[in-house]
Amino acid sequence: MLVPMTKVHVIGHRRRLESTLEALHRSAVVHLIDVTDDASVTLPPMSADDDQLRTIEDLRYLKARLGGLLSLCRTPLAEPVGLVDIDLDRVRAQLDETAPRIEELARRTRELEAELETLPRHVRSLERLVPLLPELTELEGYDTDAVILDARHAGALGELNAALDDMLSGNFEIISGQVDTDTVGAVLVTPKTAKPAIQSLLGRQQVNRVRLPHQFEAVPFREAITMMERRLVELPIEITGLREQIDDEIRRRPEWTALSRQLGDRLEQLTALRHLGATPHTFVVSGWVPTPRLVELGRLMEEEGRGEVIVEVAPLGEQEHPPVLMSNRSLARPFEPLVSLLSSPQYGSLDPTTLMMIFLPLFFGMMLGDIVYGLILLAAALYVRRRTRASSPRVAEVSKVFVLAAVWTVIWGVIFGELLGDLGHRLLGLEPIWINREEALQPLLVFAVAVGAAHITLGLVLGVWMAGREHDRRRLGTAVGTLLALVGLMAIVGVVVDRLPSGFMTPAIAVVVVGTVLLIAMEGPIGLLTGPLELMGLVGNVLSYLRIAAIGIASVYLARVANELGALGPIWLGVIIAGLFHSLNLVLGVFSPTIQALRLHYVEFFGKFYQGDGTPFQPFGSLERKE
Amino acid sequence: MEIGLLGIGAGLAIGLAALATGYAQARIGSAGIGALAEKPELTGRVILLLALPETLVILGFAVAAMIILLLGG
Repeated sequence: MLVPMTKVHVIGHRRRLESTLEALHRSAVVHLIDVTDDASVTLPPMSADDDQLRTIEDLRYLKARLGGLLSLCRTPLAEPVGLVDIDLDRVRAQLDETAPRIEELARRTRELEAELETLPRHVRSLERLVPLLPELTELEGYDTDAVILDARHAGALGELNAALDDMLSGNFEIISGQVDTDTVGAVLVTPKTAKPAIQSLLGRQQVNRVRLPHQFEAVPFREAITMMERRLVELPIEITGLREQIDDEIRRRPEWTALSRQLGDRLEQLTALRHLGATPHTFVVSGWVPTPRLVELGRLMEEEGRGEVIVEVAPLGEQEHPPVLMSNRSLARPFEPLVSLLSSPQYGSLDPTTLMMIFLPLFFGMMLGDIVYGLILLAAALYVRRRTRASSPRVAEVSKVFVLAAVWTVIWGVIFGELLGDLGHRLLGLEPIWINREEALQPLLVFAVAVGAAHITLGLVLGVWMAGREHDRRRLGTAVGTLLALVGLMAIVGVVVDRLPSGFMTPAIAVVVVGTVLLIAMEGPIGLLTGPLELMGLVGNVLSYLRIAAIGIASVYLARVANELGALGPIWLGVIIAGLFHSLNLVLGVFSPTIQALRLHYVEFFGKFYQGDGTPFQPFGSLERKE
Repeated sequence: MEIGLLGIGAGLAIGLAALATGYAQARIGSAGIGALAEKPELTGRVILLLALPETLVILGFAVAAMIILLLGG
């Protein structure tokens, strides 16, 4: 259900402004409205003075700097506790004193990490070139340069040779050779006196000079490889040491996490000023508060304002858009984010969370429908829930969706008689209670369409109810027309497949005609075009539920393939192969039904009644806590 | 022979529909990911749009099933 909202004005003396904002921020109960958007407030919006603007800038800077430092800590940070002094000058001085040391450690760590990443490349290049190296590299007065080039461009070496010959009149040596199938390497031995000219020449040629990090530049290649390999062993130890130092530095200041939060709180409070209305002596905060918490807000303002701040219920204007806060029982709560994933419901409309809780796991189970798959999924979901309950409550909540889905998967597995596909039947003689999905295709398809018709009918009934409640004649007419057309079409199908007496045919056609005419009438002249299209869309919507059967059959056959393949070889190999295929099927079988069940809700079901585009309730003070 | 042709027909019905769905999803998917990079809050809508063309392959499946069940005896 959606929590009812009340529009309030918190009015008070300017000297109570800071404490009022702090109290509102702490309680996180008011969704602020900008006073310029609130016709019932005639006060001009408050503008921040120079001091406040400067403080906002300072807070932003300090928060960003502190956040940057805290993000360097690789071990979990302590939860912020208690209040710390946030004298900004003192915070700045403290950061100026400590941050450079930590930042220097971080800079050094980044350098070493970069070195660790690039050194293996240099080792590889040199190892390929070493076989080409002559012993004369140690010759006094001579330099050694290494180049590598793509084997397809090996001709460039000839050009280089000619250019060097022109420049040095034969006083040089090039030793080249294939280093692997795609690469040619070459070592150039040239007089040290010609170094600048050689560098410039190599820059102009189509070759890649092997450039070594500066500490290895003057070292012979073979020795450089040994040094680099030694360095590669040392680097991880140095990096770990540096990281530990950084962590120590940060953990030695546990008050930083609390400080970071408080800086954020102050920043949010100050930036909220521009939403307020003010005169030289009074201020007004306009906002929405969940009606059940109105009394709590009144009491809080009474305590904090010491008689100088009051909470007044504001009159509602014509075009008000209250924010939306969903509040459902614990079983349905995990489905709230799934509803909001599409868009939050509009205030005053129907919250479909409970319906989603009923149908989404049901459809999931219909698609996957296997006892063992269901039990594995159940165990996995319960495990994730237990592991993440403390660290990540959101993930724990979502895992509840899969607990329900897994339970339905087991139930439908029993109904379809499936245990790892047909393995239950083969080994244990397990028989389906109702439909054997592998053989009875027709009943399965009829069942899927019937589920679709029922689900969409429910959506249309809700659409009729909501349109009636809002006295929206056009929407009411369209919903009733669509509902009649659907009922008529179902009756026609019932007669065609001999499930209804043939006498129903004429009334059924009449109902379809009435429904279509109603659809057309509601849309005006353009309804002549859109009415029949709407009808076709409706048929498409119902047929769309065939995916429940289609995905189910695909899952059954993949499980069967796993069992057949498993039965081919020796038993140990069969178990491995079947295990791999069943694992693949389970992964597909969890992903696909989730997406398809969601789609059936978003497109086919919600399309009939759901009014989205609501503004989520985001109380003042909640932003900082979310970070 | 006739059964073979029916099988080919059913295969074409679902296969061509699957190709069409894949083509549409590829276009929507690439545009959707682009949109998500800018606005992550559109996730739900992108899933919705991405799932829309699947109706094509489901209808292909329905036609294939009809060919097999109604004509294949």
